Order: sequence, then structure tokens, then C-alpha cells
Amino acid sequence: MSSIYLSEQEVWRIRLVMGVMAAALVLLVLALADMQILRGHRYQTSLEEQSVRRIRIPATRGQLVDRHGICLADNRPDYGIAVYLEELRPARRQRLTAPMAWQAVQQVAAAIQCPPQVTPAQIEAHLYHRKALPLLAWRHVDQRVLARLAEAGTQLPAVDIVVDSVRLYPLGPVAAHVLGYVGSAEPEEDEGPGYDYSLPDLVGKSGLERRFEQQLQGQSGGRLLRVDVSGFMHDEIGFREPVPGDDLMLTLDVDIQRVAEQVLADTVGAVVVLDPRNGEVLAMASSPGYDPNILSPAISVADWSRLALDSRKPLLNRAVNGLYAPGSIFKPLVALAALEQGRADARTVIECPGYFEIGGQKFSCFMGEVHGRLTVQEALEVSCNVFFYQFGVQCGLDPIYQLALAMGLGQPTGIEMDAEAAGLLPGKIWKRRVRGEAWRDGDTCNLAVGQGALMVTPLQMAVMTATIANGGYLYRPQLIRGMRTPGATEFQRLPPALVRRFHWAPAHLALVKAGLRDVVQSPRGTGHLACLPDVVMAGKTGTAEYGPKGSGFKHGWMILFAPFDQPRYAVAMVLDEAVTGGSSVGPRVGRLMGEVLALNRVGESG
Amino acid sequence: MIRSLIRQLRRLDWIMVVAMILLLGIGIAFVYSAGYREADPAGSRLCQKQMIWAGIGLLGFLVFALIDYHRWTHRSWWLYGLGLVLLALVFVPHIGLKVYGARRWLQVAGLRVIQPAEFMKLAAVIALARLFGRPGRNPRRWRYVIAGLLMVLLPMVLLIKQPDLGSALIFLPVLAAVMFVAGVPLRTLGLLAGLGSVLVILLLGAITLPPRLGWAETRTASWLKVIGITPYQRERILVFFDRDRDPLGAGWNKAQSQMAVGSGRLTGKGYLRGTQNSLGFLPRTVAPNDFIFSVIAEEKGWSGALTVLALFGVLLGRGLRTALVARDKTGRLLVTGIITMLFAHVFVNIAMTIGLLPITGIPLPLISYGGSFLLGTLSALGMVQSVYIRGDWV
Repeated sequence: MSSIYLSEQEVWRIRLVMGVMAAALVLLVLALADMQILRGHRYQTSLEEQSVRRIRIPATRGQLVDRHGICLADNRPDYGIAVYLEELRPARRQRLTAPMAWQAVQQVAAAIQCPPQVTPAQIEAHLYHRKALPLLAWRHVDQRVLARLAEAGTQLPAVDIVVDSVRLYPLGPVAAHVLGYVGSAEPEEDEGPGYDYSLPDLVGKSGLERRFEQQLQGQSGGRLLRVDVSGFMHDEIGFREPVPGDDLMLTLDVDIQRVAEQVLADTVGAVVVLDPRNGEVLAMASSPGYDPNILSPAISVADWSRLALDSRKPLLNRAVNGLYAPGSIFKPLVALAALEQGRADARTVIECPGYFEIGGQKFSCFMGEVHGRLTVQEALEVSCNVFFYQFGVQCGLDPIYQLALAMGLGQPTGIEMDAEAAGLLPGKIWKRRVRGEAWRDGDTCNLAVGQGALMVTPLQMAVMTATIANGGYLYRPQLIRGMRTPGATEFQRLPPALVRRFHWAPAHLALVKAGLRDVVQSPRGTGHLACLPDVVMAGKTGTAEYGPKGSGFKHGWMILFAPFDQPRYAVAMVLDEAVTGGSSVGPRVGRLMGEVLALNRVGESG
Repeated sequence: MIRSLIRQLRRLDWIMVVAMILLLGIGIAFVYSAGYREADPAGSRLCQKQMIWAGIGLLGFLVFALIDYHRWTHRSWWLYGLGLVLLALVFVPHIGLKVYGARRWLQVAGLRVIQPAEFMKLAAVIALARLFGRPGRNPRRWRYVIAGLLMVLLPMVLLIKQPDLGSALIFLPVLAAVMFVAGVPLRTLGLLAGLGSVLVILLLGAITLPPRLGWAETRTASWLKVIGITPYQRERILVFFDRDRDPLGAGWNKAQSQMAVGSGRLTGKGYLRGTQNSLGFLPRTVAPNDFIFSVIAEEKGWSGALTVLALFGVLLGRGLRTALVARDKTGRLLVTGIITMLFAHVFVNIAMTIGLLPITGIPLPLISYGGSFLLGTLSALGMVQSVYIRGDWV
């Protein structure tokens, strides 16, 4: 470099310009490092927010099967036709207008000869809210329509068949109250965090479907879609397979369930059949019933008003939610309480003159009968009220109350049903609190014959029957026998749940059981109409008045267990309107047990 | 003759040439990526055009490198005058072509031919070098300072009218650098800078105050017309000062570009894997040209951005070194002007891509898609080489 050309000043000025430029480039490098390295994740997040959509995919709901594996609740495919909007766009234009989509839908409609099930307004709404998803233009299409779609094939704009899952109850109304039903999930219940779109999901609305929602529902899967600037799907960047729900094996036996429902078919009432050896519910029926298929996936307005406005309340599961005064079927418990207390034994005799007076009140025997001198066994057989009035007064409230409490009255049994009714077991504290009065002997008399404020459910009575039948083992009634996780072949069995073991003196238990046997087997027994020729059974009838005194409304009851020596079935049946338990319910229980035992024989020989 | 040619070629600054060719290659690759859509040939068409322009540009580079730069500086007034005429022609109907609301192109028989702004930038730099570079010109005298100022203001006014505010503003750093190296006293430069700042503040005030004063839209609009700012430019400048202003309008490109750059992280998403561009969030009208850097930064991350900046650093550094070895003052100032012009483009473009400066529509030299600009840049670099070849180094 020669100084002739270049002055000292020029050199440092050029160097300064160089320095300024270098500093500026370094500034850019640092600014980029700040954006890309230090704050990169934040830009990444906002980028994903604008271009990634999460879509929730519901899992296949678990099945419900009976104890022999017969399917009670299943899923069936429901075919629909969807239009892929993003493929309808002209190649160079980003936006798609609703009229263009409508035109495409009409083109498909002409080909499949089926009018579109969406309106232009709905298409507009879809383009606004759920643009990344295909437009479901037809739902519930049948095979013929699908065939026509396949024929038209490639000439149609971007359409595809989509399969949705619908809950199906193959046996229709069988066990409807136990199974419950499903409905579309409410959006606010369902919209999980982080999902941009939730596909419609089924959710249990009642019965086991609701109680085991968690297990049946499975784990929803998801899709990650990338959308372009106009909101249409660009590609799929992630997919998580949904995990199907668990299958449940019920304790119900479909054959017994069917018989139980047939027996009740023409009336209003409920019946529960338990296995006294483990508390498994073999049948639980409530009449009138309904077909849960009309409720899934959505019920029509007409069907709903028919079900909801029916005064006989077909949606009510009377077996666990129906509250009744037990009447005379409560007497075996009273007898047991008194015997265990030591106030009476097999030889105790009480005279029935047809009435009983206490505290100035006169209680008549049932239907004004005069029974004469009776032992405990005979009193059960003929269901003498006067005997039990006396018995009750002699033994006092406490033993009866304690045994009834231990038997689970006034509390839910703990069966796998939501909102089970607890019933009401009146006692001294209850009366003081609710009625503001002291407990009187008259109240004890009423309680001793299963009247007064006492309220029970048919299930509670079935549990009591089973506990007497099996000699004092109180099992929690059970509807679920096993569970099967997806992929597994075998159901994992659930063990029976013993709630309490009663240590009754064998002689006392035998005495009560003998009385109950005579109810059915003896010609003068109140339950003799239930008697079957080739099996010894034991039971108790009951007739409970309700409504205003003297109005004549009566519930009819019968509890029963069979066979007498080795009980395998414990039954409790109630009819909302009856003449007496023995005459109205007895024959039905007899028919039920006859058919159940016949089934059993077929099962054993086959 | 041929032997002299070879001797001249051997005197090229090969480090600079390599940096230049690497940047050209990066440009072609990312023009392809920016236009890339699955099953859409538009991307490769853009890329092919860019390759053809790169070939023509390299030819131009060689021609300008081999021709003695004095041939241009001696005819600087003609070139300058031609530049002004071309710049004025864009306003003549049927010759000037309006694209995206701005008259930047000259057309012949319906074909886009040239953006006169690119030619004008070069002509102005040559004229400035001549003005201050002739032996005996005393840079302390005000007449030369004022002549230089006018020489730059004239094309600036025409460019603002197009409107192309970004290109117009490029002239200011060029003028400042040339005058600074020419030896104009710091006092004079400081005075000019002060005056300029006052003008800019007044302009900003004129833009931002009317809404705060509660003026009606029509009154604001007529006021803007008086001071020569379009509503579009005003909006862009306001967006720069208020991040959340109008995120779907003028703020859109800025927000999307920042998201693209930031989400590139350290190593990027991979070539052709940038989603901002392929999903259309970065509009395809700007991705291959003004926002090419955000495509690079998204797909290659900070490391890719650093590579590009390093190559520019080499290019600019070698360029200014040429100023130090130039045989005469004219060459020195010519190189200073050209390199400053390139630097201004690089800095403004990247700074706007990452949100440090308002979106002004300045392309990135050697990388952005665009024929005129590529040809202009390569010709200018050829001139730098011409100075280098004839420079005073062993």
C-alpha cells in the first residue's frame, strides 16, 4: 500500500466502516440466537397452536355379556358418507366457499339417490368451526346406498365411507334396567383439555353403562392434524390408537332373566333372583320395561315422551329404586330376632283371638281371621299378625331393630348401581327426630308385621331371603362377575363379597326355615299357590297396604328360596297392585321357580 | 489478449468469489424450497428461472470484473441520467407495470423486463464515486456535499412515488459511507445526520399523531397525501411500533416470519420441511424473495442462519479490503458505496425478517428470488473485482 494513493485518515475511516458492519452482523447473529435458541420453544408453541389440531377419537365401548357369555350390549357399525373438503379446493386457490361444497354434496346425492342430510347452513357452520375434519353429509346409510356409492366410484369428488360405532342391545328389552343405556356425551362433559375437536362419544346414562363408564369407555385415541393457512387439513402428523374399553361379564343368567321378565310381563312390579351361595344376581327385572335400543344413540322425541310421561314409570328400576312396605315377609326376621333373644322357643304358644289391644289401640289379624293357639312355626305358616304383635311387644324394639339393621335395611346394599334406594328402617331416634314423638309399643307392633314407616327395596328383601336360606351369610349382591381387558381372552373373576356372618343358633334358624317351608308346602300355608310338585321350597308372602288408611291399595310380596335343603335360588318379588301376596304373587313365583328349575335340569343333562 | 485475460482472472479475489458462489447456491436451493409444494411444479419453475438469472448474472459479473471501472466512472453522468429516465418511465402508462399496487417494473410488449431501481442504485453509486473521487475535489467544500445530497434525493423521491420506500432508504447509508470515506468532515456529517433525524421524527409524528388527536379518517388520509405516505406504508410503520396491531393484516407477515425463524431452533426442521411456508402461513408471494431468510432460518435453524451471515461477512469484509487496495480514490469510493449498499440490503432484510425493523420489502442479495436484483448485485460485485484486479497489491 502506498501512501500516494491512500491517506492515513482514509484507512481508519474504511476500517471504521468495516467495524460498523461487523458489529451489525454480530448483532443479527445474537438476535437470531435469542429468537431461535433462547425463545425458540415459544415460537414453536405458537406455531403449533396455529397449524396443529388435536382430534379426539373415542374408543370402542366394552361389551356386556351374561354369565354364560351371551352378549347383552354390543357395538354395531353405523355407516356414513363424508366429504373431504380440502380435496375439493381448486389447486391454486386456498379458500373454499360453502356453495362449492354444497354443489359437491348434491353431486354425490344424485349418484347415491339419497337426499343430503346437511343443509347449506350446516356446511357453512362446518367450514367455520370444524374445517379440518371431513364433512359428514350422510349418517345411518344402508347397504344399498353404499353399493351405489361404490358404483359411482371415482367420478365423485373426494368422498369416503366413515364408520361410526352405535351401541346395540341384541336382546332388546332383556335386562334393560340393569344394563342401562348410553347417549351422546354432553359437549361440556366431554371436551377434554387440549383437544380442538372431539368426535361424538357415547357415554353411559344409567344402569351398569353409567356405573362402569370408566371401564367400558376405554382410552380415547387421538389424531394430530396439520392444517394449512386456510384451516384445511394438510396432513396427519400423529395418530394414537384408541384402547377399547373393558368387557364386563354380568352375574345375570339370560334364561332366568327372560323368565323373570315374562312372569312380570302383564303387571307392574319387580323381581330379584339371587344365588344365596355368593350373592350373585341371577335375574333382576322391573316391569314395565323398555327397549334401550330406541335410546341409542339418540332417542326420538315421541319415544322419549312416551317413556317419560308413562305413569307406570318404565324407566324406573323398581328392584333397586322401588320403595315398598314389606308387610309379612318381614316376619321371619322378627321371629329370628325374638328367638335369638331367648324370649321364645319352638314350644312357645300364643293365642290369636283375631285382634290385639295395646295402649287403647286395637289391631286386627289379617282379613279378620281368628287363628287360635299357634307356635312360632305355625304363626309363620299362616302369617298370623296377632302372634307377631305379641311377639314384638314381648321382645321389644331393640332386637328387631338391631337384626334389621345388621341385615342391611335402611341402607343401600352396595350393588353396582348408581342411586340405589336405601329404604327406611324406623327406630327410636328416627321417630323422635322426624315425628317429634317417643317410640310406642304400637310402633313396635306395626314394625313386627312389616308395616308402619318401614320401607324396603325388593333387592333388600332378596338379600334377606338369601341370608336366611344360606344360614347367616350376608353377601353383598353382585351384578358383575368378571372383567376382561382388551386383548385378554379370559374374564378375570371377581370374588363374592361377604358383608357379615350371623351366628344364629341352628335350632332357631331351623325353626324359622321350617315355618317358611310350611308356608309353601302346607296346604293351609299362605304361599301354597307357589308350590311345585317335585321340589321342596320355602317362602313367605306379604301384603302391605299403602296410601291413605282403608283406601285398599295393596302391594303384594313373596320371598322364596329353593331347593329347601340346599338353596340355590333366593327370590323376592313385589307387585305394585295386588289382592294378597299369596294369591297375586304366589302363582307367579311358582311359575318362575318351575321354569328356572327346569332350565337347571336341561343345563345339567346337556 | 487471451494471456492478459487469464492474468486478470488470476488476480480475482477468489475468497470473495467462493463466498459469492456459495451464497448463490444457497439462494437457488431455498428458492426451490420456498416455492416447493407437493405435486405442484411452480416451485421448480421459480428455481429454474433463478438459475438462468444466476448464469446471466455470473456472466455480467465477469464482464464487469474485466472491464476497467474507469470506463463507467468516466461516463457516470450519462449512466445517472439514464437511470433517472428509466425510473421516470415506470409512471408512463403501458410502459410501467403495476404489480401488487406498486409501479416498479418496465415492460416491453407485456413482458417484465427490468426494475429500474436496481439500475439506479448502481448508477448513483458510480456517480457519487466520481463526484468525490476525482483528483482535486476537496470534500470539505459544501458544494460537493450538497451535490451528493441532491444526487441521492432525486432518485429517492422517484422511488418513494412508486412507492418503494425500502429501496429509497437504501441510498442514505450509501451516501453516508461514501462521504465518510471521502473525507467529508465529521461536523458536516453530524449536522446532516441531525437534520435527517429531525425530518424522520417529524414524519413519524405526522403518521402517528392524527389518530391520537382524534382526526377523522378522511382528514388523516388527505394529510398523509400531502406528506407523500400511502396508507399502506403508514400501516406497516405503525405495525412495527405496535406488535399486536392488526395481526391478520399488515402484521401477518411479520408475525409469521418471526414464528418461522424462532421455531427453527438450533438446527432447523430440515430442508423442504419448513411448515410455515408449505402450509401457506408465510404467503407464497413473499416467501421466495423478501422472506427467503425466514425459510432458511426455519429449515436450517440458527446454524443455517449463522452460515449465511458468515458468508456475507466474508463477502463484505473482502469487499472493504478491496477499498484499502484500490489504485485511486474513485475506485475506493466505488467499492465503499457498493459494499455499503449490499450491507444495507443484508442488514435491513434480515432485521425485518426477525422483527427488528419494519417490513419494507428489501430483498436479500444473492439469495432472494428476482432477476433484476440478482443481475444488479452480481454486476456490482463484478465492479468491485474490477477495482481489485487493478488494485495496488502484489
